[in-house]
Amino acid sequence: MAGVELKNLSKAYGDVEVLHDINLSIADGEFVVFVGPSGCGKSTLLRMIAGLEEVTGGDLMIGGKRANDLSPRQRDIAMVFQSYALYPQMTVAENMGFSLSLERRSKDEIAQKVQEAADALKLGPYLDRKPGQLSGGQRQRVAIGRAIVRKPQVFLLDEPLSNLDAALRSETRVEISELHQRMETTMVYVTHDQVEAMTMADRIVVLNAGNIEQVGSPMELYNHPATEFVAGFIGSPKMNFVKGRYADAVGAATLGVRPEHFAIGAGDNTWEGKVTLVERLGHDTILYVKVPGAGVLTVSLDGQHDQQVGETVYLRPQPEFIHKFNDNGRPVAA
Amino acid sequence: MGRWLLVFVLGVIAILMVSPLILTVFTSLKPTTELVNPPWYPPFNLTFEHYVRVWTEGGFSRYFFNTLVISVIDALMMILIASLAAYAMVFMEFRGKIVLQVLFLIGLMIPVTAIVLPLFQIVRSFGLLNTHLGVIFADLALAVSIFVFMFSSYFIGVPKALHEAARIDGATEFQIYRRVVMPIATPAVVTTALLEFLWSWNDLLLRLLLMTQDQMRTLSVGLLNFQGTMTRDVTGLSSGTVIMAIPVVILFLFFQRHFVRGMTAGAVK
Ligand SMILES: Nc1ncnc2c1ncn2[C@@H]1O[C@H](COP(=O)(O)OP(=O)(O)OP(=O)(O)O)[C@@H](O)[C@H]1O
Ligand SMILES: [Mg+2]
Repeated sequence: MAGVELKNLSKAYGDVEVLHDINLSIADGEFVVFVGPSGCGKSTLLRMIAGLEEVTGGDLMIGGKRANDLSPRQRDIAMVFQSYALYPQMTVAENMGFSLSLERRSKDEIAQKVQEAADALKLGPYLDRKPGQLSGGQRQRVAIGRAIVRKPQVFLLDEPLSNLDAALRSETRVEISELHQRMETTMVYVTHDQVEAMTMADRIVVLNAGNIEQVGSPMELYNHPATEFVAGFIGSPKMNFVKGRYADAVGAATLGVRPEHFAIGAGDNTWEGKVTLVERLGHDTILYVKVPGAGVLTVSLDGQHDQQVGETVYLRPQPEFIHKFNDNGRPVAA
Repeated sequence: MGRWLLVFVLGVIAILMVSPLILTVFTSLKPTTELVNPPWYPPFNLTFEHYVRVWTEGGFSRYFFNTLVISVIDALMMILIASLAAYAMVFMEFRGKIVLQVLFLIGLMIPVTAIVLPLFQIVRSFGLLNTHLGVIFADLALAVSIFVFMFSSYFIGVPKALHEAARIDGATEFQIYRRVVMPIATPAVVTTALLEFLWSWNDLLLRLLLMTQDQMRTLSVGLLNFQGTMTRDVTGLSSGTVIMAIPVVILFLFFQRHFVRGMTAGAVK
C-alpha cells in the first residue's frame, strides 16, 4: 500500500493546459474522490496517476517514489474503467487472472486468488463465462475483480458506476465502500456525481476547470465551502444563491442558503413568495418558491407538507446556516 | 416477372463463367481418342491417365510441393509482419510514424509490373535468384502495405481502453499484441491468410522472373510447359489446371463466408 502525492502537477496537450498546478497529498489507505463538472480534468488527473497520460509538469509520487516516468506496470496500480474494458475473448476467470499470469504466478495460486476475489464479489457462478454473456452489473464486478486480485498499491476508478441503473448504482456504491474498508488500499475515485462523492469519500477533491477548488471531508465541504462553486456543487438539491437586496442586507455580494435551511412561517425577516411547483417525495417535500427580488428558490422540507401551487409562503433562512460570498465567490470573513 | 428476368440474366452470366471450367474438367478426363469430339461433349470413357502423366513425368508433384511451401510461408509470414506493423501504427507512439505511414501508402499505389526490373536486380544482388526465399521476400514486400492497412483498420476498431487495461495489468506491448489484440483479430488473420495464400498460389510473373530452374518452379509456371509455339498438349494443360485449382476450390468451400466478409469489410462503416 502507498500514498500518492501530487506536487505542482500540470498537464498540457500541446499549448493547451488542462490541469494547472495541482497540489494534493493522498494518505496511505485513504478513499479520495475527484469530483467536478464535465471536462474539468478529473479523468486526466486519474490517468496521469495511472501512467496512461504523460505528466507535463511537476512531480507525481507514489509510495514516496517519483513515478513521473514509470510505466503503468511499474507503478503497481489497478484501474477500473468506465467502459469496463474486459478482454472479450477471455473468460471471467482469465480476465481476473490476467495480471497474475503475466507475473508468471503458478496456476494454483492464480486459481486460488481469482476464486477469493470471485467469492468476495459473488462472481463464483460466472467464472467460465465470457464478458459478452454477462449483464452490465456483472461485467462491472469483473472489472473490479480484475483490479483487486493483485492487491495493488493504489486502486483507481474512473466513473465505474455511470453505466449502471440507479438501483444497482447505490448497491454497488455500498459494496465499493465495504471493499475499501476490507482491503484498506488507497483508492482514488472519479465521478461527476456529488452523491457518490459524499457517500463514499474520506476526502473529496473538487475540481473546476483544471484547478482544485477545495479539498476536504464531505462535511467540511458541505458546512464550509471555500468557494461559491463548491457551495453550489456539493449538496442536493443545490444551494440557492441570492443577489440583490436580500444579500445586501447581510453585507454579502451573494447569499447562499441550502434548500434544507429554510423554515416556513410568518415572522420577522421572512421572504415572501409564491409556490410555483411542489415535489412530494414522502420523506421530504420540495417547494419551488418565486420570491420577488430573489428569483425562484428551492426549499426542502422534512416530511410531508400540504402547500399547494399558487399559495403564498414566508421563508425564513436559518441565520446560523447561511453562507455569505463576496464578489470573488469567496466567503465573507465573519 | 422482374424476378424471372433477374434469374435469367444471372443464369446466363453463371453459365458463361462456369463453362470454361467445365470444359477444362471434361478435356482433362477424356482419352486422347475422344479429343476429336467437340469440347462440350462430356467424356464417354473416363480416364485419369493425363493426371498421372502430368503428376509424374510432367513434374507437377515437384511444382505442387514448391507452390505449397511458398504459399504457406507467404501467408504465415504476412500475418506476422503485417499485424505487427499495424499494431505499432495503431497502438504505439514513436518518432517517424508519419513517414512510415506514407511509405506504406506509396507501397499501396505502385503496381508490381512497374518495378519488375529493379526488383529482379535487388533479388539478384542478395544472391536469392532461383531460391524460394527470394520469391517469398518479394511477395511479402509487394503486398505488405495492403495487409498492414487491413490490419490497421481492424485494430482501430479495438477499444483503446482495452489496450490501456492491459498496460495497467502489467503487459508489455508484445504481450498485449499476442494475448489481447491478436485473439480478437481472427477475422483479419483469416482474411490475410486466405488472400495472401491465393495471390501467392496464382502468381506467375514473379515466379517466372525469379526462378528459372525447373526444380524450383511452381504450378503456374509449370502450366506454361504445355504451351509450345507449335504444339499444344491440351489434355496435359487441362489436368494441370485442375490440379492447380483444386486446393483453391477446397479453400473457398471451407472459408466462403470469410471471403465474402473480408471483401465487404470496411464497405459498411
Ligand atoms: N487527448 C487530448 N487532447 C486534447 N485535449 C484533451 C485530451 N484529452 C482531454 N482533453 C481535454 O482535457 C480536459 C479534461 O478532460 P477530462 O477527460 O479529464 O475531463 P473529465 O473531468 O474527466 O470530464 P468527464 O466528466 O466528461 O469525463 C477537457 O477539456 C478535454 O477537452
Ligand atoms: Mg472523465
